[in-house]
Amino acid sequence: MIKVSHLTRRFAGVTAVDDISFEVGRGEVVGFLGPNGAGKTTTLRILTGFLPATAGDAWVAGHNVRTDDMAVRRRIGYLPENCPLYPEMRVDEYLGYRAALKGVAARRIRRRVAEVREQCGLDGMGRRLIGQLSKGYRQRVGMADALVHQPPLLILDEPTIGLDPAQIREVRGLIRSLATQHTILLSTHILPEVEMTCQRVLILNRGRMVASNTAGDLQALIAGQGTVALEVEAPEAAVRDALGSVPGVRACTVARGEDGWLAVTLTCAGAADPRPDLFARVVQEGWRLRELRRERHRLEDVFVALIRREDGEAAG
Amino acid sequence: MRTFLLQWRREMAAAFLSPIAWVLMAFFLAVMGFSFWFMADLLAGEGGGSQAVSELFGSIFFWIAVLVSVPVLTMRLFAEEKRTGTFEVLMTAPISTPAVVLAKFAGALGTYALMWAPTLIYPVLLHGLAASDAPPDLRLVATGYLGALLIGLLFIAIGLLASALTRNQVAAAIASFAVCCLLFMAGFLPYLSRHPWVQRAGSYASPVIHLLDLSRGTIDSGTVAFYVLNTALVLFATVRAVEAGRWR
Repeated sequence: MIKVSHLTRRFAGVTAVDDISFEVGRGEVVGFLGPNGAGKTTTLRILTGFLPATAGDAWVAGHNVRTDDMAVRRRIGYLPENCPLYPEMRVDEYLGYRAALKGVAARRIRRRVAEVREQCGLDGMGRRLIGQLSKGYRQRVGMADALVHQPPLLILDEPTIGLDPAQIREVRGLIRSLATQHTILLSTHILPEVEMTCQRVLILNRGRMVASNTAGDLQALIAGQGTVALEVEAPEAAVRDALGSVPGVRACTVARGEDGWLAVTLTCAGAADPRPDLFARVVQEGWRLRELRRERHRLEDVFVALIRREDGEAAG
Repeated sequence: MRTFLLQWRREMAAAFLSPIAWVLMAFFLAVMGFSFWFMADLLAGEGGGSQAVSELFGSIFFWIAVLVSVPVLTMRLFAEEKRTGTFEVLMTAPISTPAVVLAKFAGALGTYALMWAPTLIYPVLLHGLAASDAPPDLRLVATGYLGALLIGLLFIAIGLLASALTRNQVAAAIASFAVCCLLFMAGFLPYLSRHPWVQRAGSYASPVIHLLDLSRGTIDSGTVAFYVLNTALVLFATVRAVEAGRWR
């Protein structure tokens, strides 16, 4: 659905996007992740034909965004950052105008507007002025606009920015429900959003592609080590000896809590899971155990680790 | 063509959904109303109705009304869309840049025409007021309106270009006001300079002289070509400016 090849974009000496390449297949939901200023919006704008690339090429549904931009625009439903709209128009008026502009046949416009209004939770809002809507409803109008011509590809730039938690949940739910019919590329700097909605993640930092993987793969990527935490009631030195020698455990730190229990953190090698052995050892020693848990790396840790590695390389 | 018409309708609606068009219309009619008053006064004196028509189109009132209202009419066309970000929404829809530019131009021209529309009653009133021996010549009225249209074409195109170059509406208005004023003042060059070359160039490019000629019933194809070609040129520059704006 999307193919990007060695795309570069410079603004007056600043390289916003630096030689990135990736592909998005039909039906995929892909998260475009990166800190602010990483080049996410610039890349999306190149894909939608709003900005020309300095070098490199991009295709949407087989159409080159440089030479065949009208065909590309017809196939994309685009929600720009901050969802700009005309405040003086009414919701139905705006959606009808946008549908006609995007080539929906005149006789189908009313039906399509009604459909997207329902899909985006705008029932009963058709006569309202956009300028008088809350931020959450305006975002829904933007989504409805992106959907109105039934594009195969949705490009959403920070779709949940500036919304309250309840609205964020609604928008995420809407995105998930759209995933069955559309290919979706969404950008965000909020990590849980990607974990919740996307099958695959592209991580961008300082205009460069840092990683392109499924969320699970990315965890494995830096999961060279895992962590197991447990709390026991036992003498400190004995714990260090006994648990530190369990196979798969690389390092052991022990801290005594105020209530006398020991909080033990064990660093483990690779995919090793020493929890059964640890439990057996604790039982064998006759200690009391109140917690035993494995800490999985969250996408957030992966993200921070990747970006730190990248920046380190750049500095070094 | 379909997208052009659609966008033109949208531009017309946008003009009248904002208070600017209404305020402008009130201002325009107030100034032109004064102009009409003077005209009626002239008629009451010894002048004939035909002289009164040239007074309507050649007077300082006409220039005040047009020089002020056109920049205000055109300032928001691109600048506002750029400031609020709707420019991105518009330019990622399947509509070509020339279609957008022409639609905005036609929208402003339509608003300009609607601004003039109520003044059509003046010739009718004049007809009633004028002494029967000197009714205003309707052909002169028609050529006078042609003059207003031609000048509107060029000034609106200039205003549109100014609006495409900035995201600040006030800057756009001032820039187009300045350029239109320069054009207007250049129209006095033939009166100021004795150099024959300057006089010829000045009278060729002088909106003031063009308008006086037209309101006296003289249609010079060179004058019409001057406005049509220059408007086309400025519109072409606007298309390039809008496209170049995406490169920055």
